[in-house]
Amino acid sequence: MLIGDFKETYAADEALLRTPTVRVWVGVLVVGLVLFPFVAGDYLVYLADLVGITVISAIGLNLLTGFTGLISLGHAAFMGVGAYTAAGLAARWGLPLWVTLPAAGASAALFGVIVGAPSLRIKGLYLAMATLAAQVIAEFAFVHLEPITGGIRGINVPAPSLLGFELGSDRALYGPIVAVAALGTWFAANLKRSAPGRAFVAVRDRDISAELMGISLFQTKLRAFALGSFYAGVAGALWAYFMKVVTPEHFPLTMSIHYLAVVIVGGLGTVIGSIFGAVFMTLVPEGLRALAGMVRPYYPEAMTVLSPLSDVVFGGLIVGFLLFEPHGLAEVWQRTKRFFRLWPFVH
Amino acid sequence: MIRKVIAVMAIGIVAAGTAQAADTIKVGAAQPLTGRFAFAGVQLNQGLADAFAWINENGGVKGRKIEYIFEDSGYQVDKAVAVFKKIMAEHKPVMFYGESTGLGKAIAPELNKTYKVLYGSTSFSSELADPKRYPYTFVSGPTYSDMFGVLLEYVAKNPKGGRPTVAFFYSDTEFGKDPIPYARKKAKELGVDVVAEIVAKVGAVDVTSEVLALVKKKPAYVIMHGFVLSPIPQVIRGVRDYGLDTEFMGTFWSMSQMIIDKLGEDADGYMGINPYAYYYETGVPMIQNMRAFNAKHHPDVKHRPNSYIQGWFTGLVFARCAEICLENGWEVKGDNLVKALESIRDWDVGGLMPPVTFVNHKIPVGRVYKADVQKKRFVPASDWIRLK
Repeated sequence: MLIGDFKETYAADEALLRTPTVRVWVGVLVVGLVLFPFVAGDYLVYLADLVGITVISAIGLNLLTGFTGLISLGHAAFMGVGAYTAAGLAARWGLPLWVTLPAAGASAALFGVIVGAPSLRIKGLYLAMATLAAQVIAEFAFVHLEPITGGIRGINVPAPSLLGFELGSDRALYGPIVAVAALGTWFAANLKRSAPGRAFVAVRDRDISAELMGISLFQTKLRAFALGSFYAGVAGALWAYFMKVVTPEHFPLTMSIHYLAVVIVGGLGTVIGSIFGAVFMTLVPEGLRALAGMVRPYYPEAMTVLSPLSDVVFGGLIVGFLLFEPHGLAEVWQRTKRFFRLWPFVH
Repeated sequence: MIRKVIAVMAIGIVAAGTAQAADTIKVGAAQPLTGRFAFAGVQLNQGLADAFAWINENGGVKGRKIEYIFEDSGYQVDKAVAVFKKIMAEHKPVMFYGESTGLGKAIAPELNKTYKVLYGSTSFSSELADPKRYPYTFVSGPTYSDMFGVLLEYVAKNPKGGRPTVAFFYSDTEFGKDPIPYARKKAKELGVDVVAEIVAKVGAVDVTSEVLALVKKKPAYVIMHGFVLSPIPQVIRGVRDYGLDTEFMGTFWSMSQMIIDKLGEDADGYMGINPYAYYYETGVPMIQNMRAFNAKHHPDVKHRPNSYIQGWFTGLVFARCAEICLENGWEVKGDNLVKALESIRDWDVGGLMPPVTFVNHKIPVGRVYKADVQKKRFVPASDWIRLK
């Protein structure tokens, strides 16, 4: 139960981590994240990297779709642009990580702004169509701009270097991925409580009132697109290093839809929801597969039946979530927190 | 005392480790049991699993059993890499079977540096059959380029009047484009005119313009590659409607029973390359073994497609490499397995293929089969063609 928590300054009241309990738990989380690569096996580190990349990209999409209400079916394309930028810069000129990551973000942001330009005139389903077109165009470009993208065979990405260290393994990449994810989370959480972030929400809730309040719709929407695709681009660059090869087949439309599912399951319009969504959507299928694997010693052939079945279970879980918790995992989290705030004196 | 206990424990662990290693030879696999490649993945997996079970039933590899560990990877690179790492961490297999070309490329750097296991896959990509860049990877058959090579040699020998002409009809995917540069070169060498190159989308329904392009160029042969089914039936029907007697040819994935069933009458004369004998061929000892095994363990199964046979054959390759290691007293591990693979010369595989010799980690051999609509099956149209 939370008692005796008084704020004496506005600054204290507006802090990101407001109570001692939260600060302690965040501290535990940070220590856990730092220690993780030293104790976990290869497979777990690989999954952690994958979750980290998904978190970065999902926060981007959440800023765009969750906060600003601009639906995007082109998120995989934004990631692809970033991935190809980083892969090209690294493979051709051997540029280090601290150059390729921002460059990937910037190129994706530029692409995002171009794609987002029609959003001033159209919204909702129509915007979904426009971004879908961008996805198709980008996929076509990845295949056919052979001098830049290496065509269908893609680009083999050399191991990234940072301050003279070569980050070849998943374990070595864990550092940069988690650092970028943390930075991205921190930035988004701060953005949420600043004027530009509130402008996003105002545009989402009622664009006419937002404009009456003096918010420039055009600028705000383009800013959301630029920011969302910047995140996607950085995530794409990390993906390129992580997968060690980039081909057009890495960024299909289904991936865009997957990311929409991540932010919806996690919770639209919340930063923490993006994290929960990324963890859920990445780890639950793995968990289901592990469960299916547990029967292997008894029925070696059961896997052939159980593998497709776990897809069905996963689909069912998503539907269940949407039915019983439409605000996503973030809302479940809020409820849990509220419970413990009063516990054990609930009433 | 403590030191003694530790020493004893250490010996125990080492002994347990070697005892376990001596027990079984582990083979891991990331299989596309779900996703868009599942139609073949399920059969590839079954073929591989059955080959190992059959080998184990017949005494194993020099008395050692093969343990097969597979998981579904859904034909997605990120998932497949996860499966690879998971199985490598949990079971430490010495050989691995992967689901796609993409997986082979994605894990290559770590395969070469860290994991060092013999790696076979579903893929016939020419890119992977490159021992310099992919020293641990092999292709269990001819690459797509070799398949084009075999088909073009057949075309050159059967020109159907005058200079042989051919059109390439391929999909806009990695799979489709893989052999095309080689095919152009090979056609030139053999004096085959490539009169048209047509690129189509996988699963395209409206192929009118592609058909018209073919009708205009009137090639004697069309080699279709990079598709499994659609739009092959549409194109063949379209061209037949114009009354052309063009011969259509396919590569491995479009040479399964599915295509005869789908095309019906129009399948008559459809040709293509298959590197392995078909399940219904009589007089092939290994096929008889396969049928006997299936009759015993899967009595309901009447037919096995060529993807099953690819799985089975790859299983034989894995087992053979392990056997060579054991014969020479080498430890069964990646580098030795690769050495074993490279040493395979004129290996008898019971007629599944002609005697097998690995050249650059692939087997550049294949046979042209022709669809016989009455019998509803593929029958050999040429002898085995070995590329030089």
